[in-house]
Formats: sequence, C-alpha cells, structure tokens
Amino acid sequence: MVQSLLRPRVLGLALLGLVILGFPYFNTMFEFMSGWPFFGWWVDPFRIFQAGRFGVWIIILLGLNLLTGYSGQISLGHGAFVAVGAYVAAILMTQYDVHVILAVVAAGLFTGAVGFLVGAPALRLTGPYLAIATLAVVIALPQILKHDLVSDWTLASQGINFYEQGTPPRTPEMLEDMVNKDQWLYYCTIVPALIMTVLAWNITRSRLGRAFIAIRDTEIGAQQMGIDVALYKMTAFGVSSFYAGIGGALFVFSEAVLGPATFDIVISLTMLAVLVLGGMASVLGSIFAAAIMTMRIEIVDTLVKLIPFGEELRIDALRGAIYGGLLIVAIIMGPRGLAGGIRELAKVKPSAIIERVRSLRVAEVLRIGTQRLLQPFRRRDR
Amino acid sequence: MEQFIQQVATGLATGSIYALLALAVVLIYRSTEVVNFAQGEMAMLTTFIAWTFLTSMNYWLAFFLAVLVALFIGALLERVLLRPVEEGPVLNPIIVTLGLFTALNSVVLWRYGGDPKPFPKVPFFEGGPFSVGAVAISRANIGVFCAAVVIMVALYLFFTYTKVGLAMRATALNRGASRLVGIRVGQMLTLGWALSAAVGAVAGMLAAPIVALSTNMMFGLILFAFAAAVLGGLTSPLGAILGGLTLGVVQNLAATYNPTESSVDLAIAFLIIVVVLVIRPTGLLGKRAVRRV
Repeated sequence: MVQSLLRPRVLGLALLGLVILGFPYFNTMFEFMSGWPFFGWWVDPFRIFQAGRFGVWIIILLGLNLLTGYSGQISLGHGAFVAVGAYVAAILMTQYDVHVILAVVAAGLFTGAVGFLVGAPALRLTGPYLAIATLAVVIALPQILKHDLVSDWTLASQGINFYEQGTPPRTPEMLEDMVNKDQWLYYCTIVPALIMTVLAWNITRSRLGRAFIAIRDTEIGAQQMGIDVALYKMTAFGVSSFYAGIGGALFVFSEAVLGPATFDIVISLTMLAVLVLGGMASVLGSIFAAAIMTMRIEIVDTLVKLIPFGEELRIDALRGAIYGGLLIVAIIMGPRGLAGGIRELAKVKPSAIIERVRSLRVAEVLRIGTQRLLQPFRRRDR
Repeated sequence: MEQFIQQVATGLATGSIYALLALAVVLIYRSTEVVNFAQGEMAMLTTFIAWTFLTSMNYWLAFFLAVLVALFIGALLERVLLRPVEEGPVLNPIIVTLGLFTALNSVVLWRYGGDPKPFPKVPFFEGGPFSVGAVAISRANIGVFCAAVVIMVALYLFFTYTKVGLAMRATALNRGASRLVGIRVGQMLTLGWALSAAVGAVAGMLAAPIVALSTNMMFGLILFAFAAAVLGGLTSPLGAILGGLTLGVVQNLAATYNPTESSVDLAIAFLIIVVVLVIRPTGLLGKRAVRRV
C-alpha cells in the first residue's frame, strides 16, 4: 500500500496539489526571494490575483479547445459565450440576490443551452463560413447588449458595476483572519478550474470526446461509424459554451465593472491565437494557453526590454508588431503549439542526443540547422 | 420616398467600398482558401504609402505607384508567411493573418503616428454634391461607385480573356489537375495575393477621403466587407460586389428607419448573414461544396 503511494506519479500529483493549495501564501513565505534575479518575479501579491485569472482562462480555453481543437469547429466569437455567462451571473447576483454558487452554475447551464441552440444553425456551416458567422456574433454583441429590449437587465453601455450594486464573493467570516480577499478570490476560481480540468480530461477520453475527434477528422467517416454528427456537433457547442459560461461567471468576480465592451473582438481573437500557441486538442495545451493569455502583456513587455537600442527606435510603439510577429513565427516553426513541442521533447532520448552531438562537426550542425529552419519556406509545387 | 432614394444612393456608395474590400477577400479565398483577416490592414498600409508618395508627386502617379507597391507587398506576404503554413491545419493560415493584422497595424502606428491625416479625393470627383431632383450624392461617393464598376469589369476581362486569368481560375478549381497541365500553381497563388492586395489598395485610397486616413480606418469597413463576402459566397467575385452593395444599402436604411433609439446596424448586418447562411450555407452565389467519399 505504502509502496503504491510512493510512485512518482502520485508524489508528483501530491506536490502539484500542495503548490496549488499553498500558492496564495507563497509570497509571504518566500519573501526573501523577491530580490533574486529570475526567481523574484513571482513573489508579488499581484501574482495571486493573476493566478486567479489564470484559473478563469483555463476554464474558458478548455471549452474553446473542446470546440475548436477536438471537434474542429472554428469559433472566432467565443468571447460572446463568455459574455453571456458573465452577464447571467452578474444579473442574477446583483438584481435577484441569487447565491454565488447557484449563480455560477446557472450561468454555465444557461450559456450551455444557448450554445447548444446556436450549434443548430452552425451545423450547416463549414470552415470559413462558420468562422465569419461567429465573428459576426461577437461584433454584433455590444449592440445587442445595449439594445432597449435588454437594457433593463444589462444597464446598457453603463455596464453592471459590481462594487456599487452587489458583492463579489466575500471571505466567509470564520476564515477572515487566515484568508484575505485576493487569496479567497484565488481559491474561488482555482477550485472550479481544477474540477473543470478533470472533467475535460475525462470528456476527451470518453465516448463523447472520441466522437468529437472522429467528426473533426472525417465527418463522413464518423457518420459511417454510427455517430449522430448533428447531435454531437451541437453537444460540442453546448459543452464548450457551458465552460465559457462558468468561466465568464468567475471572470466577473475579479472585474469591477462588466460592460458591453468587456469581451470584445480582440479578446475573442486572442483566445484563439493563444490556444494555437498552447496546443490544440490537448488539455495541457489549454493550460499553457491560459498561462500565455494571463501573461500576454508581460511577455511582450519583457521582450521589448530585451531588444537593443529599444528606446531610440521607440520600440514600445511596436508592441503589436512583436506580438503579431511572435504569433506568425510560432505557427510557422511549431504548428502544434507548446504542448506538441513538449510531447516531441519527451520522446527524445538524452543519450541519443549526446551521441549525435559527439559525432557531428560544427559546420555540419550549422548546415543541418539552417536546412531545418528554411524547410518551411521551400517551394513545394513542381 | 425622396429620403428612401437618398438613403439607397448613399448606401450604394458605402456599399461599393465594402464591395471592393470583399472582392479582395474573395480573390485570396478563391485561390488559396485562406480568409485573409489582414486584408483591411494591408489596404491601410498601402494607403499610408500612397500618402507618402503624394507629398512629392501628383495624384495619379502616386496612385499607380501605390498599387504597384501593393502588388509587391501582397506577393511577398504570400511567399514568405503564408506558403509555409499552407499545408498544415486549416486554422494555421487564419492565425498567421490574424498575427499579420496586429503586426501591420502596429508598424503603421509606429511609423506614421495616430493622428488622422487628410487624403485627397480623386481629382475627377472633386467639388460639391451632385444632385438629381431632391436627391444629392457627394461626388466622392460617385467616384467610389464608378471605381468599383471599373475594377469589376477589368477583373472580369482579366479572368475571362487572358491566359493568366484562365490559369488562375483553373488553379482555384483544381490544383492537382492544373499542375498536371503545366500551370505554375505556386505562382498563381502568389499572383492571387498580389492582385487582392492591389484591389484592397484601391479600396483604401478611395475610402481614405471619406473616413479619414488613420490606423483604425479599416476597422469599421473590413467587418462589413467580410460580411459582404460571406453573403455573396466566398468563391464568387460577383457575389462579393452584390453582397457589398446590399449590405451598404441595408445598413443605411436600418439606421434611418430604426424605430428604437439604440443603434442596430451591426446587429441587422449580423442577422442578414445568419439568415442567408442558414438558407444557403455557401452564400448567395457561392458554389456548393460537393464531397466525394
């Protein structure tokens, strides 16, 4: 019994659990590290808030991955679903005094139902048509939210102000001495994130997930195997929107004001972009993507500082170019994202590498290296 | 009634800009099956380049130089950035064009700054509005409409009567077979991007006097251009033109005859797209995809 509990896998999971549980206290525990180069950056109370946001993005991006990565349905407007979840939760909490947990679950279920129904017209659309139709949804959304018909609930362009009209989850009284507001926020998002990750992991390895993959790879083939393509595609939209709804509801906790522009087109497109960088059709990829999504501004800022002569070139105005350039280079060099790259790395045997390096000469290494780098640019026609 | 005709006329003019941009989108989609999300930003970039040329030469010279530069930029982007991801998953080219979108926008902002710049009208169409009865149409709008018609006819002639045009159509239809009959498929793809960038550049230069030349001049236009392209069917140039004009007119009418106080033009455009796509999943004039098992 003890033996089986001491396996590396179990120990690793236990360690991960401890890190996740203790993270909000690390910045006081490891305060002495704050000046260290390379290690000091995470010792900062702001990181606790960020970690909470990270949890939210994990949920949202897992949902998008189930839809786009696993089922192959491109959605450029996933932010619209997130917005629906956020609004439902916010309205329930501020205007109807619904309990937080109930509001989050209700937001998830409602958005899931909306997604399932949206999936019906999407059944007839493929590839680019679906992409642009979903793009249209997210562009039209602010106007719909501001429209007279719903403005009593959504408060139009003024938005729902949380700190005046309602209360985000507060630390329960008996825990107030031990857990401050940021720490409680962290637990409120990271626990659902864990649950949803395990759920997604199981979905992708179940009948449902395999059906999604089959539909993505060959729709006709899936049909031949007896998969009800229409039903499963709608289910993919439903499940994905359920995730988006929960994520949106949790997003609300850390946002002071929820307005029609909170989930704009840029957020939707960025979600898809980081997902591709993290790794499509992979749970781990969604987690990487969530990390990139949370830190995207910092990552680019750090790179900006690394560029020589940055100040003379007014490099900070070129942030967008660096971001876009990174995206393009990442796609060309590693089309399967970070998760795919790590999977490749795991296959490599260290001894084999040492053997190869020993037997190579520098010139040869350079030649092969440039060949590899230029490979994507070779002409393929002819 | 007069108001109605006036709105239709104005709608046709805005619609022509959508139509030209949609045409640019379609030209790329037809040849490479990539929806180019950076289309608007490419047009914006070339319009800024034209603005630079204009400081030292007359309008028409700057205009044609800018179109030449656009041809070159389009070809370069296809060769360097799009070719490597062509054979990967469908999502990859989309991500590349999205990256290009952000990158181009940022580069132009860095080079030219954020202030809107004045851009001259086409010399033929300067002066006050042109009026027929009680309906007044600004000359710039007539210019845009005429340019759209001219470009459409020119492209029609190019695709119908020239050997290169025929080869491009063949490539769009069946790449493998085109390669077998000796068409340089790669070159046709590059040419498709180049032509599309040029059409986009013309659209940008025509739109600039109306919406003011700035880095975000295309945001409001390109979305409707996509909508127009989808409405007409992504594979049909004629569809793009019709889709653009329809959307322009509908948008203007919706803004005029809207009974509520909140604006609905985007929502209406969205509704049109969804309804059309649900009834005809490949747009009004798009060819139906036939799947062979």
